[in-house]
Amino acid sequence: MPRYAMVIDTRRCIGCHSCTAACKIHNELPDDMVYNPVTTVGPVGIFPNLSLSFLPLLCMHCDNPPCVDACPTQASQQREDGVVFVEDSKCVGCLSCIMACPYGARHHNHATGTVAKCDFCKHRLAIGKLPHCVATCHQKARIFGDLEDPESEVSKLVNGNRTVRLLSELDTQPSVFYIY
Amino acid sequence: MSKNVDLNQEGVQVKKSACYFCHQNCGVLAYVKDNKVLAIEGDPEFPTNQGGLCCRGNAALLHLDHPDRVNYPLKRVGKRGEGKWEKIPWQQAIDEIAARLQDIKQKFGPEAVATAGGTQRTDDWARRRFMNYFGSPNGFHNAHLCWIPTFMVETAIYGWCPFDLDIGNSRCLVLWGQNPGASGMPEMHHIKELQDKGLKVIVIDPRFTETAAKADLWLPLRPGSDLALALSWLHVIIYEGMADDDFLTNWCTGYEELAAHVVDFSPEWAAPLTWLTPEQIRAGAVMYATNKPGNIQWGTSVDQIGRPAGATMHARALLRAVTGNLDLPGGDLLTGPSKDFITDEEMEANDVLTAGQKAKQLGSDKFKMVTWPGYQRIADLTKKFWGKAPTAEWMCEAHPPSVFRAIISGEPYPVKALLVSATNPISSYGETKLVMEALRKVDFMIAHDYWMTPTASLADYVIPSAGALERPTITSSYGCADFLLASQRAIQPMYGRRNDYNFWRDLGLACGQQGNWPWETVEDAYFDKIKGLGYDAKTYDEFVENQRFHFPEREYSKYKERGFATPSGKVELYSSVLEELGYPPLPQYVGPTENEIDNPELAEKFPLVLTTGGGFMPFHHSEHFQITPLRYLNHSPYMDINPETAAKLSIQDGDWVWIETARGRIRQKANLTPGIDPRVVFTQRGWWYPERDMRDPVLGGCMESNANVLTTTADVDCDPFSGAWANRGLMCRVYKAEQAAEKEVC
Repeated sequence: MPRYAMVIDTRRCIGCHSCTAACKIHNELPDDMVYNPVTTVGPVGIFPNLSLSFLPLLCMHCDNPPCVDACPTQASQQREDGVVFVEDSKCVGCLSCIMACPYGARHHNHATGTVAKCDFCKHRLAIGKLPHCVATCHQKARIFGDLEDPESEVSKLVNGNRTVRLLSELDTQPSVFYIY
Repeated sequence: MSKNVDLNQEGVQVKKSACYFCHQNCGVLAYVKDNKVLAIEGDPEFPTNQGGLCCRGNAALLHLDHPDRVNYPLKRVGKRGEGKWEKIPWQQAIDEIAARLQDIKQKFGPEAVATAGGTQRTDDWARRRFMNYFGSPNGFHNAHLCWIPTFMVETAIYGWCPFDLDIGNSRCLVLWGQNPGASGMPEMHHIKELQDKGLKVIVIDPRFTETAAKADLWLPLRPGSDLALALSWLHVIIYEGMADDDFLTNWCTGYEELAAHVVDFSPEWAAPLTWLTPEQIRAGAVMYATNKPGNIQWGTSVDQIGRPAGATMHARALLRAVTGNLDLPGGDLLTGPSKDFITDEEMEANDVLTAGQKAKQLGSDKFKMVTWPGYQRIADLTKKFWGKAPTAEWMCEAHPPSVFRAIISGEPYPVKALLVSATNPISSYGETKLVMEALRKVDFMIAHDYWMTPTASLADYVIPSAGALERPTITSSYGCADFLLASQRAIQPMYGRRNDYNFWRDLGLACGQQGNWPWETVEDAYFDKIKGLGYDAKTYDEFVENQRFHFPEREYSKYKERGFATPSGKVELYSSVLEELGYPPLPQYVGPTENEIDNPELAEKFPLVLTTGGGFMPFHHSEHFQITPLRYLNHSPYMDINPETAAKLSIQDGDWVWIETARGRIRQKANLTPGIDPRVVFTQRGWWYPERDMRDPVLGGCMESNANVLTTTADVDCDPFSGAWANRGLMCRVYKAEQAAEKEVC
């Protein structure tokens, strides 16, 4: 069984927002919703001594997902391959999971009343394609694959670089790793 | 790809299409069934984008069938700009337009018909072909702001424009006013890959851009002062022992004159002009000159600085020569035009236009480099050497502001019709008030477009244009590259739309050009272009499906056998072609179009330096403001201002502010950022508001936030070589707007 993970190489990201747009357009998200914003950090400093970086965000598909624990109806689930998703028909829109997620990765769909989130484009994984945000990235800043496979690029990157996971102190065990 | 589409269903074909939302023409795979595109994605096998697509590319399906698209020919039934239209059949539109053009031609001469284009989003050789057979020399684009003057000045000096960088073998890349991080995603990807292998990158840009943030050296110069920087780099390279003496001695003329000419242009001289320190200037020159082979990538910025533009292009071009970075592995290659396929110029029928009509080209008496006088001289040289000439559509055009002025004044002769194709001049041409006056005044106007733009709103007829997925595309750097990338149409045009090629062909036939348009479809024409390549393909589509690209073997240092395509056969540092055309043979220093040193009184009233025109995601020029998911990313126009300056002006982040120059004022929202000099502000370009009333006088709020209201196209402010006008290096002032813009969106 694979364990899907994403590595984000922030040294490569140029903040073009293509991933945000690709996800929003192809997954047909409502106007007021994005699953994977790119946060701009900077420029910081005083002209002309500056630095600028970008932090792409998305659901961390945690190994220990607080959102799944928080769901009273078992709509929020995690597959064996690690993908965290919401089964729409079981969601009653109580928003407990939104409060439980420390990454702000869950969104209330005002049209349907349910909660929506990034599911690593599991409909694409099913046909052997990469998530939209990964496929569209010109800079190859988002790398996706199976952490269980020692030959996969994500395994090599995670094992061969200093990576960080966001809010690691919460022990959520994200499967999204950042190289900076 | 929508979640609900099954791409594996029976009957789905995968078409090798291309994005058409900028010049990069990224490869796109379109999943098509029954002439409907079900989904698109970046083509992983395309060499440039390698599967990537930017925000705009991802929006292709939203663009294809957007409810605001113009889908049928529209004929005005109310007053101009009143917004009352009647849908008419294609042939009726063609016949009526042709009859009107023929009438104007009879009364005022063919030169009374002008055509305007935007950036390269159309088959412009077809437009030129129509105009040549019609007899008018007055076609133009925004060519003057985008590489074309650079191309011609460089070709004057060394016989072709070295735009093809052998970057894979390079050690140093100078991005001179270019920000691929926001405007050329595939290029940025390759730069980053090569940086990881040791490529040094120098970014010359007043702004701390996405690209500057990744650079080895960032030189934030005063906008418009590029000439002082280029001259002082020449000085440093020549006088600090970094020149390539062997190349200069054997392959260049005028080295002594150049060395004497730049003797005083030290970094200490340039420092107060460029606002850089002498150390910064020297560091840049040393990095470029000592990391050989190296490249200077062209960027549009120097084409847009107005008065000093031509001299700057000249000085910048000389940097390649004094470092010997021309046509060597890893350097800037002089490929010449394609020997293998039929070039755009060969499709244009330029010989048909008489010398008498060529002489009437508006602006050609004042600005000679990109009009018939300079083009003819250079085309003769390149034909003799390479056997072919640069594309005339682009490299040889009427001067747009001169055409607008002729429409208004009737001088030097009347211009009565304007056919606008794939451009929105109100937003994209300089000095908007002048453009607006001309568009309101012109007797007869056609707009060929995707949308009801502010310009189209003022037209007599609006012709619906087919878009990216509805047309084949050949990518070949304005028809001047020796390679090509070919893409096919995913579907036939929807509704009553047609390709621009078919518009010009049909109009040509209706204007009596029978026999001059042998190709019924674009594919027929494209196949004619490529059939001599010798690939096993019986149609254009077959070529795309089986080959898709033609990249000839690279030949280096060709000059060692053949010399250069100049009168002397050498690189002419002291340019005989420029001298012959009446321009200084060596680059003379000229200050920025508006500046505090030459005009302190102006600077007192307008104390800040304005730069505008740079690309930003997710829009392209004046496009895509209608597409909601893109607009969501950038809902309002933003201008960059340093927090220190903003504090003095009581401006807070997000405030609406007025930006004012001697031409007028616009408002945008303040983005407080330390990434810009406290003495400089940057405004976004292209803005209009398609959600507003599109009728005159509102016209989608096209004057409110439009940076071109601020720019100047007066002859005296234009580059004397090319007539390029000034978007950058102007003087402005900024103050808080009392109230927010009319309506905030999203």
